[in-house]
Amino acid sequence: MEDQEKYEIDEEPESAPGYRTYEVYQRERVGETTNLIKPRELISDSYLHDPYPLVGLLRENYPCYRDWLGNRFWITRYDDVTSVFTDDRNYQTRTKTWFYGLQDYGKNLWNEISVQKAFESNVDEHIAKITGEALLNWDRDGFDLAVDFCAEIPLRLWGAILDISDEELNRFVPLFWRMQRGSGWNPIRRKDGLAAVEEMEALLDPIFSKRRNDPSTDFISAIAQVELTDREISTTDLVVTILELDHETLHGGLSNLWFNLLQNPDEMGKIHDDPRMLKYAWLETLRYTPPVLSAKRFTKTEVERFGRLLPEGSLMMCSAAAANRDPRQFNNPDTFIVGRKDLCQREPRGQYRADGLPSGISFGLGKPSIHPAVPKERPRSLYAIVRDCAVTASSMLLEKKPNIKLIDQSSPELKSLLLEEIHTCWELKVSS
Amino acid sequence: MPKISFETRGNSLGVNEDVNGAQRKFPHMPIGQAVDMGFTSEGVPLIDPRIFDSGEFGRNPYPYYRILRDHYPVYYDQLHNCYFVTRYDDITESYFDEIGFNTIPKGSSSGVLGNTQLELSGIEHRRRRNIYGRHLVGAALTKRLHALEQIADELISEWWLSANPKEVLINNETGTATIELGKAFANEFPISVVAQVLGIPQEARQQFTWWYDAMMSGLGGSETHHEGLEARQDLEEYVEDLVDQKRNAPTYLTDEAGNNICLDIISELCNSEIDGDVMSTEEITSFIALVVGGGGETTRGAIMNLWYLLLQHPNQFKAVRSDSGLWDTAFHEMLRHSTSIGGQPRHNTNDLTLHGVHIPAGSLIHMVDVSANHDDRIFANPEDFNIFREDLYSGKILRSGHAKEGKCSHMAFGVGPHLCPGAWISQQETVIGSKILDKTLGNVRINYERMPKDIDGVSLAPIGLGSIRELWLDFDLPN
Repeated sequence: MEDQEKYEIDEEPESAPGYRTYEVYQRERVGETTNLIKPRELISDSYLHDPYPLVGLLRENYPCYRDWLGNRFWITRYDDVTSVFTDDRNYQTRTKTWFYGLQDYGKNLWNEISVQKAFESNVDEHIAKITGEALLNWDRDGFDLAVDFCAEIPLRLWGAILDISDEELNRFVPLFWRMQRGSGWNPIRRKDGLAAVEEMEALLDPIFSKRRNDPSTDFISAIAQVELTDREISTTDLVVTILELDHETLHGGLSNLWFNLLQNPDEMGKIHDDPRMLKYAWLETLRYTPPVLSAKRFTKTEVERFGRLLPEGSLMMCSAAAANRDPRQFNNPDTFIVGRKDLCQREPRGQYRADGLPSGISFGLGKPSIHPAVPKERPRSLYAIVRDCAVTASSMLLEKKPNIKLIDQSSPELKSLLLEEIHTCWELKVSS
Repeated sequence: MPKISFETRGNSLGVNEDVNGAQRKFPHMPIGQAVDMGFTSEGVPLIDPRIFDSGEFGRNPYPYYRILRDHYPVYYDQLHNCYFVTRYDDITESYFDEIGFNTIPKGSSSGVLGNTQLELSGIEHRRRRNIYGRHLVGAALTKRLHALEQIADELISEWWLSANPKEVLINNETGTATIELGKAFANEFPISVVAQVLGIPQEARQQFTWWYDAMMSGLGGSETHHEGLEARQDLEEYVEDLVDQKRNAPTYLTDEAGNNICLDIISELCNSEIDGDVMSTEEITSFIALVVGGGGETTRGAIMNLWYLLLQHPNQFKAVRSDSGLWDTAFHEMLRHSTSIGGQPRHNTNDLTLHGVHIPAGSLIHMVDVSANHDDRIFANPEDFNIFREDLYSGKILRSGHAKEGKCSHMAFGVGPHLCPGAWISQQETVIGSKILDKTLGNVRINYERMPKDIDGVSLAPIGLGSIRELWLDFDLPN
C-alpha cells in the first residue's frame, strides 16, 4: 500500500490558487421530484405530434425542468421564457452557422439596414404576383394547400427576392431546404447540409460577382454592395445570411393559419365578416400553434434563475409552445380565438408587451429596443414583413376561393418531421 | 417549379434511414457489427445519435465506440447536448487535469445520492477523501477481510437450508444442483459486505436493501426519481440517529470469537478528525449513499461478469482454478472487457479545442471508460477476453494509473483524483467471493436452457453495457 500513499501525495495536480471547489449542488426535496414526466417523452413521437400536453405539464409542475437525458433545462412559463430572450448579458444564442461549425465561413448581414430594406421592398413588390401564380395551380390534380400554397410561396418569394431565373430557382430550392434541415442534431443531414452549403455557394457565386459589378435592386445586389471593414464581401456572406433568415415561420405559420381556420368555422366566419380580421388570425396562429416550438439559449456564466443555480454553459430550452398557452397570460389558452382581447395586436420589435399585453412567441426576439419609437427610416421588422406577407397571400386566397373548405373525411394534423424541426401541417386537402 | 416532397427531400447521400420520427428503430446486429447509418463521401461512417437511446446500443456498444474512436475522437451529440471522448489517452489526460475538466455542475447522481464525492473537486474533494478513503484501503481494509469471508460462507450455507431461501434446485438423482448466481449469491453479497463494514445493525438490513434498490433506480431523473429521493430522505433520517449513537458509543467489527477487530466505518467517520475537521451528518449520509450505490451494483456485476466470461473460456477458467493467484488477473481483464460503469461525466472549465472540435466552456463531456478499455491503440484485439494478454497491467491498483513496459492499467476505476475509492475493496470482494464459490461449485457449467438468449434465440445474451442480469449454473453436489 506504500505506492498508494506515495501517489496520493506526489502525483495529483495541485489546485490552482483561487480555484473554486465549492459545489453548485442543490438539494432536491422529495416534493420537488419530477415523476409526472419521463425525460424520454420529450424525445418521443407523441411530442412530435402533439407537444402541448407534455410542455403544459412541465409549465404547471416543473417550470424549470432539469432534463437529464437531453442535458438541458426546459423553461415553459411565459414570463420566464421572455426573461431569457431579453437577457443578452446572461444568455447566448448559437446560430445555425455555429451548429454547423462554420463560424469563420461568412457573416450574417441581416443587421445592415440596406439589406433589410432590399428584403422588405422585394417582398412587398412580389408577394401578390407570386400568390397569384400559386393560385393558378388550384385546379391542378392533387392540389394541396399545405404544399402548393403554404410551402411554395416562401420558396418562390426567395426566387423573386434574389431575382434569379426559374432554372436557378429549381436548383436553389432543394439546396435551401437541405441547408436548413442540416443545421439540426442529425449528423446525416448535417453532412448533407454542409454539402448543400458548398453547392449553394457555387450556384450563387457567378450571380453574386455579376451583381457586385452591376448592381440592381434585388437582395443579392444589396448584400454585394455592403462594405466590410476587415475584408471584401463575398458569396459566403450571402449564403450565411440566407441560411440564418430561413423561411420557417412564413411557411409553417401560413400552413398553421389555414389549418386553424379550416377547422374552426366560427373563427373563419369572423374573417368573412371582416377580412381585416385576418391579421388577428395570423397573430393568434403564432400564439396558438407556433411553427417553431422552442428556441435554445446557453448560459454565459453561472446564474441563479427560476429557483436554481444554472451552471455556465447550460442549455435553456425555451418552449414557445408552453409559454404561448400559459394561463397566467391568456384566458382559455387552449382555444383558437381570432381577435382575442388578451393578445397584443401590434408588431413586437424586441419587446413582447407593446400594449402591456403579451404577444405570441414565435420569434426569439432580443432585448427591448431603447428607442421610444421605431425610427422612420428603418424598414419594418421581419416579424411585420412576414405577417404582412401571410395576410396578403391569405386575403388573395380567400377572395378567390371564399367557400374554401376541407375535403370531407380528411383529418389534417400538425406534426414535426424530426425533433426540433417546425411543427406544422404538411397536408391540407381543400375544395371550394 | 418541381412539386415539393418534404418527407424525402434533402437526402442526397442516399442514406437508408428512417427519415423521420423521434425514435429510430435500429435493427439488432450481430455482436461486433454496427448498423449501417450511412457514410460521408470520404467513406467515413456516420453516427445517428438516436443510436445511444436504442436497445441495440445497450447490447452491442463496442462497434459504435470503435467508430467514434477512429473517426470522431470528440463526438458532438447535439441531440443529447453533450460530447463524447472515447480514446484512452485523451480520457487519461483529462482525468488528471482536474482544473480543466471539473466535476462541478452536477449530473452524475441527479440529487438522489446527495452531495457526493463524485461532484466535488479540488480541496473540497480531497478533504473528504482523506477522512474516509483510508478506511477502504491498505491495512484498514485487510482488517475487514475477515468479515467478507464470513458473509460469503453464510450465504452459501443458506443454499442447503430446508426453507431454500436461495431457490437452489437440487437433483439428488443426478447429484447436481442448479442456481441462479445472482439470486443465490451475487445480489446479496456486496450489499451485505457494505452494510457490515459500515456498521449498519443487523435488524436494518432489510430496509437497507430497499434504500439501495430505490436509490439505484432513481438515478438519471427518470420516473423512479421520486422513489429514489424518498429513499434518500428515509436513509438520512435513519442515519441521523445512528450517527448520534455512534458519536457517543462507537461500535466494532468482531471476529468469530466476538473480539473487536476494528471500528466499523460509520463509527470511524463519526470520530475521525483531520486538521480539526469532522464530517457532518449530511456528509456521512451522502458518503453512505455513495458507498451503497457504488459498492452494490458494481460488485454484483463484477462477480456475475467474471463467472460468465470465465465459464465461456474453459481453458482460462482451468488456469485460474489451478493457480488461485490468477483470480486477480482475471478480475482485471474482466473489468477491462466488460465493466459495468460506462464512464464519468466532466465539464470543461474553459473553451477548448480537442481534435479540431471546439467545445464551449461548461459543456458536458462524457469520458467513456468502456471505450478506453477497448481502444486498440492500447489493447490488442480488445474485444477478446484473454486473461493472459500481455498489454494489461493487473498489479496493485494505482491512483496514477500504469503505463510502463507495454502494459497499461484498465480504466474501469478511472485514474487520478477521482479514482474509485472502492476499487480495492471491490477487488477483494470479487476475488474472495469467487474463491469461496469455487470451492463449492464442483464441475460448474452454464445451464444454457435457462439462460437469457440473444436475438437469434440460440446464443447466450451478450453482456453489452453493464452486467448480465441472470447467470444459471449447474454444478455437482458436494459430497
